[in-house]
Amino acid sequence: MTASTTGELAAPTPEPVAVPDPPRPAGRPPRPVRRREARVGLLFVAPMLLLFLVFRFGPTLGAAFLSLTDYRLSGDWRFIGVENYARLLEDDLFWASLGVTALYTLVFVPLTVCLSLGTALLLHRAVWLRGFFRGVFFLPYVTSIVLAAVIWKWIYDVEDGLLNAALGVLSLGPFDFLGDERLVLPAIAVTSAWKGFGYSMLILLAGLQSIPREVTEAAVIDGATGWQRLRWVTLPLLRPVLFFVLVIEAIGAFQVFDAMYVMTAGGPVRASYSLVYLLYDTGFKFFDFGYASALGLVLFLVVLVFSLIQRRLIGRDD
Amino acid sequence: MARLRLPALLVLVALVTMTPFVVMVLVAFAPAGGRTLPGAFDLTRATWENFSAVLSGADITRWAVNSLVYSLVSVVLILLFSSMAGYAFAKKRFPGRELLFWSFLATLMVPFQATLIPYFVLVSRLGGVDTYWGLIVPTLANSQAVFLMRQFIRQLPDELFEAAKIDGASEWRIYTTVVIPLITPVLATLGVFVFLWHWNDFLWPLVIGQSSHMRTLTVGLATLEGENVAVNQIMAGATITVLPCLLVFGLLQRYLTDSIATTGLKS
Repeated sequence: MTASTTGELAAPTPEPVAVPDPPRPAGRPPRPVRRREARVGLLFVAPMLLLFLVFRFGPTLGAAFLSLTDYRLSGDWRFIGVENYARLLEDDLFWASLGVTALYTLVFVPLTVCLSLGTALLLHRAVWLRGFFRGVFFLPYVTSIVLAAVIWKWIYDVEDGLLNAALGVLSLGPFDFLGDERLVLPAIAVTSAWKGFGYSMLILLAGLQSIPREVTEAAVIDGATGWQRLRWVTLPLLRPVLFFVLVIEAIGAFQVFDAMYVMTAGGPVRASYSLVYLLYDTGFKFFDFGYASALGLVLFLVVLVFSLIQRRLIGRDD
Repeated sequence: MARLRLPALLVLVALVTMTPFVVMVLVAFAPAGGRTLPGAFDLTRATWENFSAVLSGADITRWAVNSLVYSLVSVVLILLFSSMAGYAFAKKRFPGRELLFWSFLATLMVPFQATLIPYFVLVSRLGGVDTYWGLIVPTLANSQAVFLMRQFIRQLPDELFEAAKIDGASEWRIYTTVVIPLITPVLATLGVFVFLWHWNDFLWPLVIGQSSHMRTLTVGLATLEGENVAVNQIMAGATITVLPCLLVFGLLQRYLTDSIATTGLKS
């Protein structure tokens, strides 16, 4: 009987220990020992299992169930079948928020992937102070998106914001970045990209470093220019990592809420009113919990589709 | 030429990345009500008054305490429970082990916001709104932590545990004296991440901490922003909020960045 190697998931293990898995002794241990081991195992899992039962599995099933009711936290409620979903299809606000979220994702994902790929490529080639720059680029990631939103809200300010002051020097503007329907989503996307690109950068940097040196050196000998090497050697080899980053950023983008809540309160005229914002308002402003749960299920389905595409295209990572 | 361009680009990107932080600190120390345009900063007029104003005006010290309680208690409990579960999943055979482990992991597919409503209903029914336990306990079921622990503990040689068993040590004793010391590096890494996730968390503290004295710093900062508080004071509040993150980051930068590159930790 070998150690279980079935079904390994995504991430490689941290700081591998030098000693490899020793082979298990052949044959099973005698019964009483096995039973004791099982009891100990269950006891050690018990606290986490209890937490998962109550706070993960429970609410997940609860979300599906609530979405079939008109539950409102107080008073009577009844089972209304798929009525909430029928309502969704006819709800302009839902489609609008879905549109805002999709548009935001379309702006945010390319922006953040370009930014993290660009900085990763720069860092990969940098010889001096690599650790320092890596730290600088990663720094915003350890802060809160609320903090990023608060700072950037002021940077975007029409009257005395930093950005308009800078643009003023070039005699441009002023722009009302957060008050203009066309500018608000890109403006928020820039803030989120600033906050989060360091994470994808690190993943991409690790990917770049795992490309064998010989491959790029061979390309140099064949006389490829820097751009050709990037286009025909580095990027194809980096594709699985790039795709991983693309999908997790898209999943994150579809859940956007905090930045919009703080920077624009969903405005102007709902131009930054995302799906999760609608879910939040439906639940905690109008206490329409059944309908809000249906919105949550839509979010889950979108994320599921992203994950399935990822699985399909890069298969199980190992 | 290319040799010169590369560092110049790096420095430029680094400057742009750092600007928001620099601006935050400058505005936080600028005299209240003064012009806040970049050229108008005068370091000789730097003042602490925004900090004292925001500290005396709002419940900000209480929010900081809440954030600390939320983050630190979660760190301790998640490390404890996930390492126990990770040990069992890695080294003990029991019925349903694989099924349980994969069902834990499957929850990663469900975004938190999708289950926010039943979460809130559950916690409010149990009387957890506006309480510390209501804030903390539901966040402890962390699949990534369990996954990380199991992966790491799996690599430890079985002989170590068998030797301890032969010496007559109880399972709990093996866990505390063999497992814990061996996994200290992962515990530290995970602890830092859990701290940052909770310190920076927003949506859950927003819905569960309904009165002002149960807000965390991030939620408090967002409400300050909504009220008519001067921008200098908000930046002072922001500086206070970011300080622990910067401290943790400064101390453990290498650690943090390396573990993301190898394990892909993300909340």
